[in-house]
Amino acid sequence: MKLERIEEAVPVRADFQGGVVTPVAFRRGGREHRIVSVNARWIDRLPRHPHFYFSVTVETGDVYQLQLQGNDLLWWLDSVQMEG
Amino acid sequence: MDLLPDTAAPDPSHDAEGHSGTNGKAPVSGDEGAAMQGSHEFGRASVARMQGGDRAAPADVSRYVEDDATEPTQQTGRDRSPDAVTPAILHVDIDAFFASIEQLRDPRLAGRPVIVGAGVIASCSYEARRHGLKAGMSLTEARRLCPDAIVLEGHAQTYRCFAEQIFARCREISPAIETYLDEAYCELTGTERLHGGLVAAGAHLKERIRETTGLSVTCGIGPNRMLAKLIGKTVKPDGLARIEAHEADAFLCDLPIEKLAGIGHAHAKTLRSMNVRTIGELRPLTPEVLEALFGAPGRLLHGRCRGHDTAVVTEREIPLSISRETSFHRDTADRAEIEGMLEYLVGRACRAARDLDIKPRTVAVRIRYADGEGAEQARSMKIPTDTDPQVLALGLELLRRLFTRRVALHLVGVTLSQFASDLAEQGLLFDEAEAGRQNALFRAFDGVREAYGHGVLVSGRALTLKGRMAEDRHGFILRTPSLTQ
Repeated sequence: MKLERIEEAVPVRADFQGGVVTPVAFRRGGREHRIVSVNARWIDRLPRHPHFYFSVTVETGDVYQLQLQGNDLLWWLDSVQMEG
Repeated sequence: MDLLPDTAAPDPSHDAEGHSGTNGKAPVSGDEGAAMQGSHEFGRASVARMQGGDRAAPADVSRYVEDDATEPTQQTGRDRSPDAVTPAILHVDIDAFFASIEQLRDPRLAGRPVIVGAGVIASCSYEARRHGLKAGMSLTEARRLCPDAIVLEGHAQTYRCFAEQIFARCREISPAIETYLDEAYCELTGTERLHGGLVAAGAHLKERIRETTGLSVTCGIGPNRMLAKLIGKTVKPDGLARIEAHEADAFLCDLPIEKLAGIGHAHAKTLRSMNVRTIGELRPLTPEVLEALFGAPGRLLHGRCRGHDTAVVTEREIPLSISRETSFHRDTADRAEIEGMLEYLVGRACRAARDLDIKPRTVAVRIRYADGEGAEQARSMKIPTDTDPQVLALGLELLRRLFTRRVALHLVGVTLSQFASDLAEQGLLFDEAEAGRQNALFRAFDGVREAYGHGVLVSGRALTLKGRMAEDRHGFILRTPSLTQ
């Protein structure tokens, strides 16, 4: 497994139903990546505003880590984990 | 209900999870790394176990609650008054903590041998343990034993978030919990009626943790911390077991001596040389003999080998210590790089202290040379402080005293301890204004870092790390960041 750090702010389509945030798709490099599963979610409450993290699998099978920052509601694409 | 036939069978892949940190280890652990040997029969132990590989199974409390008549409040025939409150502690241990989280984050890792660590194994999945891998083993050895293992460097911040989530679930069932890196002790004394029984409380907690985090934990319930932890170890992973006070004698008797809290490798070696191999064989030794052998703590062993442990569950609002350490990506003797790393680690530790509104009085610096030799020294300040320059000045002084050999350093770390609350400490009489200004300055730095990432402000010597180390918004990417509070 190879982890590649991305650290980019990205536009994300998300579902906020029932008070639960669920990312549905994100756009990177002019291409939309549809999320097929949210593998794990966790919250970092140590910062003054919580940061919401999501480990997601996209259509290609790659696993990305997304982050929603609680203070400015900005989405970040943290990293991608690839086979090999 | 009697012991289930398969439940007391020791788990060969005994968990030796994540105690690589300097202060994250629970004090009652006698030997985390050794595997349980032999089988143990211990009277009427109420042991239940969830079978592994059953992650999506719905909550089925009845699987654990075999016979609530064994609950102390409903027992008859013993010398207990109806109002007597039986002490009850629940020990929660997260199964293969770091590796399980990695398998959760990336489903492609499920069912595969996963190692988390750099240099040595910090945690490995149960699939890896089947190949003989265990925490503390060098990665070279691990790769030799299991060439297919997937090695990941780990995500300390993520593990902390998951642990906090799990401890929050523990707080739902217990009025007081004591937490460590990957385990917690929950006080359950007097809560039997509230939860419908202690085993039901454990089962409920396991299901809640699985629901909210996707992780499995092993729970042990006992009349004290030591027994709760020991009984839990017999049903790892994903198990639930309970032992009552009257069962302790039989349960402990044949356990290897290393299992007893307070018996490490050195003590075990001494005892084995005296032909004391099991906990039962330790019992004939008087407190005086044990004290002569092991000093004052030896006296505690006299009670522990009989199943007595008086340590209470203590909820710590103020941590015992805050530790930040890392090994270098490449062993180094470059003073600028070493001092830069120390300055960076001091900055991280002080920021953690400021977040908790606590000020350390004692600063310790720890180094390890490339040849494995280590050194550590601590000093205390007259006035506790959480501002970087004062702590760093002391840290650098300690580093200069410690780093005396002409050998490259493999690891450096700093530990802050002896904390005072912001409100509890008398301040300086004449320099208060200056101290206040400094404090305000560093709190402003914290605000900037919070908004724009830790790496946007890098001070003095730590600038030497720029360009040498990769960075992200959380700061420099350390090779083996400490995972302790």
